[in-house]
Amino acid sequence: MKMEKVEIGHGSGGKLTRELIEEVFLKYFNFPELHTLQDATYLPGISRIAVTTDSYVVRPLFFPGGDIGKLSISGTVNDLTVSGALPRYITAGFIVEEGLPIETLERIVSSMAETAKTAGVKIVAGDTKVVEKGKCDGIYINTAGVGEVVRELSPKLIKPGDSVIVTGFVGDHGVAISLAREEFDVETPVESDCAPLNSLLTPLFKLPGLRFMRDPTRGGLATVLVELSDSSGFGVRVYEDRVPVREEVRFICDMLGYDPLYLANEGKAVIVVSPEDTDEALEILHSNPLGKDASVIGEVVSDPGVTLVTSIGGVRRLELLEEDPLPRIC
Amino acid sequence: MEKIKELVNLIHSLAPEDRKIKIMNVCGSHEHTIAYSGLRSLMPETVELVPGPGCPVCVCSESDVINAINLSKRPDVILCTYGDMLRVPTRIGSIRSNGGNYKMVSAPHEVLKIAEENLDKKVVFFSIGFETTTAPTAALIETGIPENLFILTSQKLTPEIMEVLVKDSEVGVDAFVAPGHVSAIVGSNAWRVFPEKYGIPTVVAGFEPENLLLAFVRILYQIKEGKAELENVYKGVVRPEGNRRAQELMYKYFEKADVNWRGIGNIPKSGLEFRPEYAHLNAKAVFNLPEIKEEKIPGCICDRVVLGKAYPTDCKLFGTACTPRNPKGPCMVSLEGACNIWFRSGVKTA
Repeated sequence: MKMEKVEIGHGSGGKLTRELIEEVFLKYFNFPELHTLQDATYLPGISRIAVTTDSYVVRPLFFPGGDIGKLSISGTVNDLTVSGALPRYITAGFIVEEGLPIETLERIVSSMAETAKTAGVKIVAGDTKVVEKGKCDGIYINTAGVGEVVRELSPKLIKPGDSVIVTGFVGDHGVAISLAREEFDVETPVESDCAPLNSLLTPLFKLPGLRFMRDPTRGGLATVLVELSDSSGFGVRVYEDRVPVREEVRFICDMLGYDPLYLANEGKAVIVVSPEDTDEALEILHSNPLGKDASVIGEVVSDPGVTLVTSIGGVRRLELLEEDPLPRIC
Repeated sequence: MEKIKELVNLIHSLAPEDRKIKIMNVCGSHEHTIAYSGLRSLMPETVELVPGPGCPVCVCSESDVINAINLSKRPDVILCTYGDMLRVPTRIGSIRSNGGNYKMVSAPHEVLKIAEENLDKKVVFFSIGFETTTAPTAALIETGIPENLFILTSQKLTPEIMEVLVKDSEVGVDAFVAPGHVSAIVGSNAWRVFPEKYGIPTVVAGFEPENLLLAFVRILYQIKEGKAELENVYKGVVRPEGNRRAQELMYKYFEKADVNWRGIGNIPKSGLEFRPEYAHLNAKAVFNLPEIKEEKIPGCICDRVVLGKAYPTDCKLFGTACTPRNPKGPCMVSLEGACNIWFRSGVKTA
């Protein structure tokens, strides 16, 4: 009998679970390490490892530019990459709501497999639990990621005079999600920027002046900069008119009362690099389509705090927001 | 950018060295532009940009909000109002925290559909605001509204509150930037009284930083020349006589009345209430709603902030006990409230 919907029994650990694993997960996750179906997977040694974990609860599950599957792999890959590691292995735990169409699950799982292929990472362990209808919203995904450390980066390495770079337009993911929820009557072509960034960022590891990287997800660019200032003891001066923001994103933000500097991104990085290595960093970023709009948006300064020089030359402070304007964004 | 620099240089050259000039705006959108563009950081030391009563949510009386809450708790009523109003605190909580029957709308016409879809309920539109929202409410009534739709009004008039400010020596306003949107309805002539009767330069401005800077230049120029005139730097949108049709509709259904402003008290002829012949639409009459004496919020100085007597950072609660997530006073609730705008645009506690 062909499976149509996820049932409670699919999480029982018995025959139905085995069917789900074989007909959905293993069908797409074609990694030999995973196919042993043991309680744990043996992996070849890595000299120095970086580990990360993340959970994905985005609503809706599918949105322009991505879906929860693509997001879960991209987000995990990006967390490892901005930490100076080469992403190698990912595990995936699924909490599925009873009744989720198998077709939906397959779309998500195949999207994960495709993204893992793009990023060159292997999905090497997994788990599935099914909860009763109404106890979760479709599907939640938890991942762990393991990477091989190449460069150790830290806010402690930044120095006044360093350049602050953002790798492209900010706010796309936040706007795409809020529009996908159909809470507003707006037609727009804004797509999420959701993407694995290792192909873009790992070539930067060779630059001696590379100090710090972070992917500005929840809380957006402004939150990353405020946290950078808080943990380094130095400040950041950022120029509003150098921050790439799409015209349509700015328009929608004005309408909905959002500030694009605080909206989530899922395919961008903030990079701090020495003045000497700034040009080469930009050259590397511009050579990849994911970084073609990379720009230097400001510099590290000695006074703590984040100062925004507005497009008309005024100044104001950027502070942490109390809460994310858009919950369940990733 | 060159134009901006030129305007800022002009402001610096026109500003007096020996005395402070307080320029008050009376519009949340003006304050938004000032805060988010960092206009204060570009002003000479002697020029102060003071936010005034520009937030209708902030001045809506506690009595009106409590009446709205109580209506929302009746099983036969659906209360409809703007998003910000749902979170305004009173002694009995907010509309939202009381968990009654309420629906958020973003424009008056949306209540029509709600009324038509709920014929077994009495739908009450809590219509709050300055002239810019009163006119669309009047237009809605003009189109003919279903029998189960009633209107709870808390409508305020901008020129009237500005006249109160002028007479209050503690405020000490030297000039007004008049609000572009309100002016589009009432006309720039509505502000003529300020230069002509009170000697206060008044300039109608739009919402771009450049347009506001131009208004400041014109104001400082008048002060330097010892003049007080009405000027309009938002001519594409604002006409001297305003929108006649909107004014006719407003005064067809409503008349000037003495109304309560939150924290400030009763101000004669400063609001609009239904004319007696439309009592059947008036929720206050239909549901026999009482006027409830206001209770002050402990520690909150929203009343002084609204009148430009204090800055948000003068309040002990600002940014600590009172934040947009957990607002103690109305000025921290609304996106047009000075406390909310200052907090979100990066102003820290004093």
